[in-house]
Amino acid sequence: MPARDSEHSKRRVIVIDDQEINRELLGMILEDDYDVIYAENGEVGLHFIRENINTLSLVLLDLVMPVMDGFAVLETMRSEPELHRLPIVVLTAEKSAELRSLKLGAADFITKPFDAPEVIRARVARIIELSEGRSLIRAAERDELTGLFNERFFYEYCSRLERYNPTWEMDAVVVDIRRFNLVNEVHGRDFGNKVLKQLAASIKRNIEHEGGIACRLEADIFFLFCRRREDYNPLLERLSEDVNREVENAHVRLRMGVCIMGGREVAPERRFARAKLACNRLRGKYSKGVNVYDKEFHDKEMHYESFLNDFQSALEEKQFLVFYQPKYNIEGDKPVLTSAEALVRWRHPESGMVSPGEFIPLFESNGLIQLVDYYVWRESAAQIRRWREELGISIPISINLSRVDMYDPELENKLLDLLKENDLKPEELLLEITESAYTDDARTIIKVVESLRNHGFKIEMDDFGSGYSSLNMLSTLPIDVLKMDMKFIQNVREGSKNFRMVELVLDIAEYLGVPVVAEGVETEEQVRLLKNAGCSIIQGYYFSKPVDAKTFEKFLLEKKEALK
Amino acid sequence: MTVQELYEKIGGNFDAAKKILPSEALIGRFVVKLLKDGSMQKLRDGVAAGDGKAIFEGAHALKGVTANLGLQNISDLAAEIADEFRTGRERSLSDEELQAKLDELNAKFDAASEEIAKFQAQ
Repeated sequence: MPARDSEHSKRRVIVIDDQEINRELLGMILEDDYDVIYAENGEVGLHFIRENINTLSLVLLDLVMPVMDGFAVLETMRSEPELHRLPIVVLTAEKSAELRSLKLGAADFITKPFDAPEVIRARVARIIELSEGRSLIRAAERDELTGLFNERFFYEYCSRLERYNPTWEMDAVVVDIRRFNLVNEVHGRDFGNKVLKQLAASIKRNIEHEGGIACRLEADIFFLFCRRREDYNPLLERLSEDVNREVENAHVRLRMGVCIMGGREVAPERRFARAKLACNRLRGKYSKGVNVYDKEFHDKEMHYESFLNDFQSALEEKQFLVFYQPKYNIEGDKPVLTSAEALVRWRHPESGMVSPGEFIPLFESNGLIQLVDYYVWRESAAQIRRWREELGISIPISINLSRVDMYDPELENKLLDLLKENDLKPEELLLEITESAYTDDARTIIKVVESLRNHGFKIEMDDFGSGYSSLNMLSTLPIDVLKMDMKFIQNVREGSKNFRMVELVLDIAEYLGVPVVAEGVETEEQVRLLKNAGCSIIQGYYFSKPVDAKTFEKFLLEKKEALK
Repeated sequence: MTVQELYEKIGGNFDAAKKILPSEALIGRFVVKLLKDGSMQKLRDGVAAGDGKAIFEGAHALKGVTANLGLQNISDLAAEIADEFRTGRERSLSDEELQAKLDELNAKFDAASEEIAKFQAQ
């Protein structure tokens, strides 16, 4: 037991629970081994944690509490880098709360009613051991591979640097390698390490002479604390050039996040967290190499933050709206309506219509998208039924499954329940899954998809062409439809490079024996080209923008008329 | 009366309590704390004021506390009431059904409290 072996002082844990009986029960279980602190709500607890962060080993946290609940504590602790280190064990009676708590960084759970005291003691001991083990591994000052600092000592050195050089203006800079996992996968780990070493050497050459310092946080993520410069693009270019010159066939692309906000009154941990956020936001944006966390970025973050706060009421007050965009089969002389894609919109009471591009990535980043998705699925399933009952015609609607949905153990049941509630067949609710979800964790996704298909669901692979699937993997994928990435359609002209890509996608689809849906189709010319190339289904402004259910009825009525 | 007898009288699960609290004396020491626990009062105040959030918080707290004490019968009722008032969930009981649950909970809780008070006094 870690609480007994080293030194004589007990490790300190804090129990945050509003119920005195629960606090005392845990106290009784733990106080022989630990110095136990009690707090009756999140606010009191958090205050104590902030003041005593260095002497605490663990937080035991109830979720439902007055004043400030456990989720708010988790959220706050996750957003404050200084509090990251401290493991949190959540006390809960709800299975449903577990996933959310895990996402917010909880290390483990203790369920109510409590387990036997030995079980609780063992869990507490294990979590403390784990977190201390991690700290120990980091305790060596230098990163073995690159010789740069590692995280643990780095922040301390940053603070010192600023203390001893009061006139220097320093920026927190994060550099990482785009899709580094691919470099490792394609060339092997040794090659990957060679790249990392060269990048580290180049970083040193470029910033140490002016007094800057650097650390490797983990994998391919480097933190640089360097003298402020007007433009960071030249530094980024020099680093890329160095690595690609020194390592043959490296072809790596770097990206950089820079925090120029805060200055020395803000802890380095926090400034790097901001720089990292800016860097992460470059994911998928290949034309931009440097992203700066400045006042504007900060304000936008605050804006996002307020969106997050508004989320719950948005759900409750049905501010999310489901729009439908028709898909037409163009194989015959006349286009025929085949299905529709359900797309979410947010009518915010103050900001008006918020574009999905603004809130979907935000909700994806913290798992809330799952709730939005489910809302859209439920609406869509009910809509199919309503149309069938009211207009005597119905068409399949495709709904989007986010990455996080694929890991939801209840996914299948949720979908099957929706079918049952609305008396639908599985082929009436088409499932769109983005290609990049497959490339992230192919094995898991394929298992989930196979199981869904066994229930009769049809799977459409969304954004195909954007996710770098290998041909080899594609042939083993269980899918029913390919949706071509919009990027291919834009600027498509006969003989252009984009058009060759379109033809390639169509060839792949033919090889797989599945139809292709082209998204984002706007012009007559595009329709003609796609049709000639053998694309069967088209979605886009050419036919209609996404519209509300009422407006969509006209497409259904047209189809009904044509069927007569 | 022994703690075990008390548990028999109030319909508690002595074995469940024993899992968490390893000795009879400890169970006795903890079960009397229920008399001072404010969650039932919060629930009642919530009902009186028609305040769903307070009802949920009171019922939810009561559920946790009584579950830990092995008073499963009370905990289960509290759980049903808490679920009914969880935000974002639709009501599934009719007003009459809910009132019946509340009455049952009130009765069980009061009866248990009375016995626990007697136990404490001896």
